[in-house]
Amino acid sequence: MDAITGWWDDFFWGSLVVVELFFVALIMTVLFGLIGAGAKLSKNRVAKAIASGYTIVFRGTPEILVLLLFYFGSAITLTAIAQIFDPEIKFVDFPPFWAGSFAIALIIGSYATETFRGAFLGVDPGQIEAARALGLSNLQTFIYVRIPAMWRLALPPFGNHMLSLIKDTALVAIIGLEETLFVAEQAIGYTAKPFTMYILVGVIYLGFSTIITLTVMVLEKYANRHLQVAQ
Amino acid sequence: MSLDVDLVVDSIPKMLVGIGLTFELLFLSLALGTALGIILLILRISGRWYLSWPTMVYIYIFRGTPILVQIFIIYYGFPQLDFIRNNDILWPILREPFGCAIVALSLNTGAYLSEIFRGGVLGVDRGLKEAGAALGLSVSQRFIYITSPIAIRLCLPAYSNDVVSLMKSTALASTITLLDMMGIARTIVAETYAPYEIFVSVMVIYLIITWAIQRTFGWIEKRMSRHVRSEV
Repeated sequence: MDAITGWWDDFFWGSLVVVELFFVALIMTVLFGLIGAGAKLSKNRVAKAIASGYTIVFRGTPEILVLLLFYFGSAITLTAIAQIFDPEIKFVDFPPFWAGSFAIALIIGSYATETFRGAFLGVDPGQIEAARALGLSNLQTFIYVRIPAMWRLALPPFGNHMLSLIKDTALVAIIGLEETLFVAEQAIGYTAKPFTMYILVGVIYLGFSTIITLTVMVLEKYANRHLQVAQ
Repeated sequence: MSLDVDLVVDSIPKMLVGIGLTFELLFLSLALGTALGIILLILRISGRWYLSWPTMVYIYIFRGTPILVQIFIIYYGFPQLDFIRNNDILWPILREPFGCAIVALSLNTGAYLSEIFRGGVLGVDRGLKEAGAALGLSVSQRFIYITSPIAIRLCLPAYSNDVVSLMKSTALASTITLLDMMGIARTIVAETYAPYEIFVSVMVIYLIITWAIQRTFGWIEKRMSRHVRSEV
């Protein structure tokens, strides 16, 4: 334990990077999931085909591969574009934070696509018809009837996606982002205590997972509060 | 910037050399993980708190931390501990990156699989178990002859998803110097700096493996539920 003394602040900042990465990627995940689900549910055949391709590719390939492809791919593309304007430029780097959050969001977004699609189809058609019969407009039906019902159905699987998301943030250390795993590598360079440092990283992630699990439990309870009256 | 077709044609055979290691990692850790998952399941549903609580803690820890961190703890972290370095059984395994990858992947997937198996066991209709008890079958007979066959059928779809995620996790072995398909791809990219050609090619190979896994399990599922289908 003595070895960790002096590294607490570094691990704190590393954890903060994980949190930032998590929230940025989470927003993008929801966005990709909604776009993907919208495309899959649409009548447009091209949009449907693109969305299917998206979910097949990103659910079927290793996360680390997607991440490295985005990081190195974006660097090579950006360099090529920059050289059109200024041939002197040797190398342009895409920030690992954004390459990482984008790649992770694309991966988890492909899972979220299926979740949102399933939730949309899972809403009882009778409820939608009832809303129509009451004279609610399309938009009102969507906001007041469909979304609350969808949210109840999507919450448990989406909680699992959030857990996968927080765990995938560890991968971004591979492309050099200074998050906890990266901090641990630096600390090991000084202290030569790999077991202690990596266990600490594990404990930090376990803490994050616990917070997410508890949050989802509270949200689920809130979403299903009308069903608890009977008990 | 243009796509180098020759490079793709050149490097695909090189990467396919690593497919053997990818499959070794997949099948070996799947077999060990499945065995571990079954043991954990039995401990978990044993009804004795001193067996089920440690199991729950184990599952919680391995599902709550990134697999990459688990691999690093085992590969980089364990050599720090004297009792592991002095252990004649563990050290020969954990000295090699391959052994570390197998241990990490098996321990991780075992935790996930035991939860999948538990879902299957809990999904078995209580009436069937009661019928078994009424026929005079013992607890273990009921588990083997009644619960297991139905539970296996129930958890096959989730099991096949887990095989796919295990296959995706094998790519992380490349972070501890193993030259599986991903490791070879990374080496070629480091030499040629052609991420698009190499990574997209290896992506296609991984997609084909995923597709093959899903087709295989789809076929098994269909076969195992053939008695249900004929009634419809």
